Amino acid sequence: MQLVREIATVASVAMPVGERWNVRRCRYAPQGGGKGRVCIATGVHGDEVLGQLIVYGVVSRLIAEPEHLLGTIDVYPMLNPLGLDVGERMVPSVTRLDMNRAFPGSPDGTALEGICHSVFCDMLDADLVLDIHTSTNFKSELYEARVSARQADVMLREARALCPELLWVLPDRSDFDASLTGALAAAGTKALILEADERRRRPQEIADAVVSGIFCKLREMGLFSGETRKPPEGDIPCIRSPKDVLRVGCERPGIYVPEDHIGTWVKEGEVLGVVIDALQGEALQTVLAPAAGLVFSQRSYSTVYPGTLIARLCRKEQP
Amino acid sequence: MKKDVLFTVPSYFRDDMDIMGYRFGKGEKSCVVLGALRGDEVQQLYVCARLVSFLREVEKDGGILPGKSVMVVPTAVGFSMNVGSRLWAPENRDINRRFPGAADGSTTERIAGALFERLKLYRYGVQLTSFYQPGSFIPHVRMMDTGRHNPELAREFGLPYVYVRTPRTVDHTTLNYNWQLAGTQAYSLYAGKTQEIDEAAAEQALRAIVRFLNGRGLIRSEITPGHASSVISDDDLTTVVSSEAGLLRRVKFAGAHVRRGEQLTFIMNPLDGGVREVLRTPVTGMLFFVQDGPFVIEHSPVFQVLSGRTL
Repeated sequence: MQLVREIATVASVAMPVGERWNVRRCRYAPQGGGKGRVCIATGVHGDEVLGQLIVYGVVSRLIAEPEHLLGTIDVYPMLNPLGLDVGERMVPSVTRLDMNRAFPGSPDGTALEGICHSVFCDMLDADLVLDIHTSTNFKSELYEARVSARQADVMLREARALCPELLWVLPDRSDFDASLTGALAAAGTKALILEADERRRRPQEIADAVVSGIFCKLREMGLFSGETRKPPEGDIPCIRSPKDVLRVGCERPGIYVPEDHIGTWVKEGEVLGVVIDALQGEALQTVLAPAAGLVFSQRSYSTVYPGTLIARLCRKEQP
Repeated sequence: MKKDVLFTVPSYFRDDMDIMGYRFGKGEKSCVVLGALRGDEVQQLYVCARLVSFLREVEKDGGILPGKSVMVVPTAVGFSMNVGSRLWAPENRDINRRFPGAADGSTTERIAGALFERLKLYRYGVQLTSFYQPGSFIPHVRMMDTGRHNPELAREFGLPYVYVRTPRTVDHTTLNYNWQLAGTQAYSLYAGKTQEIDEAAAEQALRAIVRFLNGRGLIRSEITPGHASSVISDDDLTTVVSSEAGLLRRVKFAGAHVRRGEQLTFIMNPLDGGVREVLRTPVTGMLFFVQDGPFVIEHSPVFQVLSGRTL
C-alpha cells in the first residue's frame, strides 16, 4: 500500500532578516485518508529535544510499514524552531515569551499569538492530540501521561494504552489553560501531555518506550494494524488530585547529591539525597522522604536553594 | 527611616540576598512602592532609590503625616540584577508570574509569597513595572479591571492617562492582580525605560508618586500640579500591526498627534534598503504606544493610537 506523505506549513511569520518562522506539519496517511486522525506535536519548549527522536521513531515505522497505517498521523516536530535551534525554552525573540502560555492564541494578536492560533485550529478536529514534553534542566521524570482535569474521566482511560509509568490529572488553572493541551481540552478536543525524561538514561531507551506506547494507542484506536505491545493490564499509578502529590523541597542552599530513586517506591524516612557545602566540608541537609510513595520526579546533581524541588512522590502505598 | 529585611534567600556560592523595605512614618500601613521584580528593571530600581532618598528628607522635615506609614521596596531580585538575568535564573521563572506565592513552594514562590504577605497589608500599592513589549508609552498609570479597582483614585498621580486593562488568564498570577483581590488599591506606574536609566521619565514617575502620597494625605511636600487624568480602556486604543518584517524606521513617536492616513513608520528591507511597508494610522488620535526596537517581525503590534472622546 502506498503511503501519502504531505508537508504543509501551518503557520508562518517573517523574521526581520531573511528568514521565516515556519511551523511545519507532515501528514502520513493511507491513500484516501483512512479513518481517524492523531496529531503528535513537540518542541514547544526549545530546550526539550527528545520529542525529535520520538517523532522520528514514529515516522520511521510508518514509512517502513505503510500497509499497517489505517488513518492520518500528523506530526508537528518543531513548534518553536528558533528556540530549538538555540536550546532556549522560550521563543527567543525580543519578547522571550513561553509559547506554551500563549494558546489558544488569537488571529488578531501578536505574531506569537497568531502562530499559536493557527496551530490550535489545525488540531481542533483531531481524534487525539499528543503533546510531547521532556523534563527540564536538572530534573528527571518517569514516562508520564498528563491529562486535563476537565477531561479526566475520559482521558485516564484513553491514556492507558500509551503505556505510561504514571497517569497525572492536572488541575485546570489559568496557566494550564494557556498551554496547548489545556486550550485543546477546554475546546473539547482530546489531548494529553506525554512527559519523558531525556537526562538520566540513554535517550534511545526512553524514546523507544514512548514510541512503543504511541503505536499501542494507535492500534487501539484502529489507526494502525501492525504488531504492537499490549496495553497494560494492571494498575498504573495515578495522581487524581494535588493531594496525591508530595512535593519535597530543599531547605538549605548548597550542592545537591541525589540518591537514585526515580521510579522506585520509597518508605517514609528514606534518604533521597544530601545537600553539601564544599567550603566547610559539611553535609548541610539530609533530605528524607516525608512519607511513603513512588518517586516520579527527581532532582539531579546541581546547585539548590531553599524551595528547590528535590523530588515528587506519588503518595500511595506500594501495590 | 527604618530598614526592614522582608525576606532572605540564602545562597551557597554567593552572599545571601536580602529583600529590603525602607519604612517611613509610623501607624497605618498606608502605601507601599515596589521597584524591580525582574533583573533588568534598572529604571524601576532607580526611581525607588530616588524615592527613598526623597522621603528621607521629607521625614527629617516632619513631612510624613502622623499615623501614616509608607514603605519602599527597591528590588526583590538583587541576585538576578547582579548576573544580568531578567528571570530568576535557577528556575528560569518570572517572579511576577508566581503570585500570590507559597511559603513552602519553590524558591520563586517563596519570594513571591513572603513579599505578598507584607505588601497586601497596605491600603495602596504602586508597582513600577516594565512591560513585555519593548516600547515607549505616554506616561500613564494602569490597573486591571478586577471589579475591585478604583480608577478615580489613580487620577491623583496626575499623569495624563489612567489605563484600565482587561486582565487575561496569564495575568492571574501577577502581583497587581492578586493585590487587587487581596483588597489593596494596586497601580502599575509606567516608568519609561527598563534596562537603562531615563532621567526625564524617572523624574516624572517620582513626581507622580509624590503627588499621589500628597493627595492621599500620607506626606506633606511641595509638588508641581499634575495633569487632569483621562481614564481610558482597551476600547479607546487602536492597534497598528505590521504586515512585513525588517528594520523599523519610525517617523512618529509616542505622544505625537496624528491624522487618519498619516505615515507612522516604514519597514525597511535590512539588506537592500528597499521599503517593504509604510504603516499609516487608520484613525485620528495620539500615539499612546510606539514599539522602539530596531527590528520588527511580521504581524507585530507597532503602534497603539488613542482616539475619540479621551483625547
